[in-house]
This record gives sequence, C-alpha cells and structure tokens, in this order.
Amino acid sequence: MKLSVSEGNPHCIKPLAALQVTGVQVSVHYVNHDERVVPFLNRPVVPALLLPSGQHLFSPNVICRYLFEVKGQESSDLCNQWLEWEATSLQPALQLALHMAVLQGKGSEVSKVLQGHLNVLEQSLSKDNMPFLTGESVSAADVVLWASLYPVLSETSLALGERGSLKTWFDLVAAMHGCQSTAQKVLQGKGLQGMKSYMQRQPVPQSSQCRDAPPCNSN
Amino acid sequence: MALRELSSLEKYLGLKKPNKYTTRGDKKIPVLQSSNGTQLVGLLTIACHLVKEAKRPELLGDSTERRALAQQWLEYRVTRLDGYSKEDVKNILQDLNLHLQDKVYLTGNQFTVADALMYYGVHPLIVDLSIQEKEQYVNVTRWFDHIQHYPGVRHHLPLVVVLRNTIYTGRHH
Repeated sequence: MKLSVSEGNPHCIKPLAALQVTGVQVSVHYVNHDERVVPFLNRPVVPALLLPSGQHLFSPNVICRYLFEVKGQESSDLCNQWLEWEATSLQPALQLALHMAVLQGKGSEVSKVLQGHLNVLEQSLSKDNMPFLTGESVSAADVVLWASLYPVLSETSLALGERGSLKTWFDLVAAMHGCQSTAQKVLQGKGLQGMKSYMQRQPVPQSSQCRDAPPCNSN
Repeated sequence: MALRELSSLEKYLGLKKPNKYTTRGDKKIPVLQSSNGTQLVGLLTIACHLVKEAKRPELLGDSTERRALAQQWLEYRVTRLDGYSKEDVKNILQDLNLHLQDKVYLTGNQFTVADALMYYGVHPLIVDLSIQEKEQYVNVTRWFDHIQHYPGVRHHLPLVVVLRNTIYTGRHH
C-alpha cells in the first residue's frame, strides 16, 4: 500500500499519526500540493491511500479508520459518530479558523471560532471520565480529532483555557508512539506558518457553514 | 430530508419497528433516540447503525477494503452533498462520472448502503439535469437508474426518466 502526503498539509497529520499508532506498514510518498494522485477527482486531493485492489481512499478520516480495522479494531457507533462530526461540523469551522490564523494574521480569532467545538470535546471527555473519546483504549476517533486540532492546540498562544480534560487527552495522544513528532514534521517545525503555502491554494472558507451549533454528544 | 431517507432505509432493511428520530440545529442533523435514552447523531452514523441492527453487515462491505470504500462514499455524501452550491454540482457529477466509469456500484461490484444514501443525495441533482446533461454524465445516469430500480431502495422518491438511447450524437468530451 502506498500513502501519498504533502508537506505543510494539515490533513496529512491524520494518516501519518494513525500509521504510528497502529504500526501498519505502508510506503509513504511525498508529493506536491497540486499533484493529482486520485485520477477521478477533478482537483488534487492529498492524503490518498492506494489500496491493494488499485482503488484509492482519499478521505483522511476513512484512511485512519481503515488502518485501525487492518489492525483488527472495527469502528463502533460512537467512533463513527465522532468521525462524522469531525468531517461535517469541526472541519468547516477549523478551515475558517486556520484561514484566519495563517493567512490573515488573526490568530486571536481562533478560540472564538472553535470554542463551541472545544466545549463539546471537553464535556464529553470530562463526563465519561474515560481517557479516550470512545472509552479505555485509543481509536481512530482519537487520532483523527487529535490530528485535526494539532495545528491550533499546539500553539501556546491559543490556550485551551479551563478545558482540563481536553488538555489531558490532547497530551495523552500526543505522547503516543511519536504522534507529536510526526505532526511537527508535517508542519516542518514551523507551526501554523508551515501550512502557509498549502492554505494559499485552498478555497476561502464560508463562515456561514460554521454557524451551526456543534451537534455531537457522547451518550 | 435526512429523516425521510432514514425511514426509506429502514423499510429497505426490513426493520419492523420504526425508530424514533429528532433533528438538531439549522442543518437538521438527524438524531436517533434509542429506548434506553442514548442518542446517535448524524446520517452516516445512524445509517451504519441501522444496517448492523438489521443484521445485514454485507451492506457495509464484505471486506476491510470494501468497508473503507463504502465509508468513503458515505462521507462524500454527507460532506459534499449536504448544502452543496451550484458550482459544486458540476464537480460532484464529474467526480462520480469518472469514478463510476468502470464500476457497477460505488465500491465496485457489490451494492452497499453507500449506493442507497448517495442515490438519495444526488436525486435532487439528477431531477434538474436536462437530457443532454444526463448524456454528459452517462455513467452517473446509468448507475442512478440502476439504483432507483434496485429492489426496495427508491421508496419516497419519484422515478426519474432515463433514456437508454443516445439522442445527441457527435458530442466530444
């Protein structure tokens, strides 16, 4: 199997961290931001995983889910729910926050844009009193959520505030099997600025997509 | 819309007792209320749960790889087809058309729940296509027509007429 990633692309942190946590063997190839890896998509999409059958997975969340299943861990309903929430609710808000922080120099806006989503995570982690989002052991949901929040939460200026459970969880995943150094490498050790050339190529996010209340729970 | 889809999916799966649903937020995200007080949120999550409840795991894919492919198209459905813009329509149809060029179903040669949900999701797009556009996206149209005739899937949606013969000839793409 072959995983294509590009430097400075925050979505690539997810599958690279999942490789670290699961230990699945995949050859990793670095490509340019505008390389068309998946032939049928009309815009370049990275990361992409080439499967043994010759088909491509082009969603970072699904790649992570797949790597966990290869290791024998199937996704539970709760894991699916977190992955869907990440893709449909957190990502639009995160794209807006990153756009403001990286390209407009409005890093101070990030906490405001993301506070609803961070509260959802904090409430879920503190209520269940479990170390991970879906229970006692790490799942694809932890890796995906951790990796998508890494660029914003690893910046010291963007404090987590009073969200103690979220911070404990974030540090716990960061310490697993080199997740943190993998993420640092994707951002080339430059933090948010490491994503600048990638962000410049992305369409401007619509703030209207992020207004909705974060619809997740963890019952 | 999501609730009607879930109700159609329940009928397709042969679930005797309909589940209780509510929606949340401006986007009307579906929430399944189970009898023991817990909730599941999100179209993709609930659809996969219903398939498991109906004990039809093959509809999620019969191998690790096919399960991943089905999830990918379910995610594509909920991220790209919910709240799409006019400009997106072309991109979505182009993606699907190229992908389906050599496939019967989204994941290859086996029907999965991704085909059903993608069919529900693209229905409003296909209804609006002219005959000429339907010919332009010939693979999508062929797949769509196949799924709308797939036993038990269509339910709440009107049948879209698809011509089997090409009437615009000499078109180059």
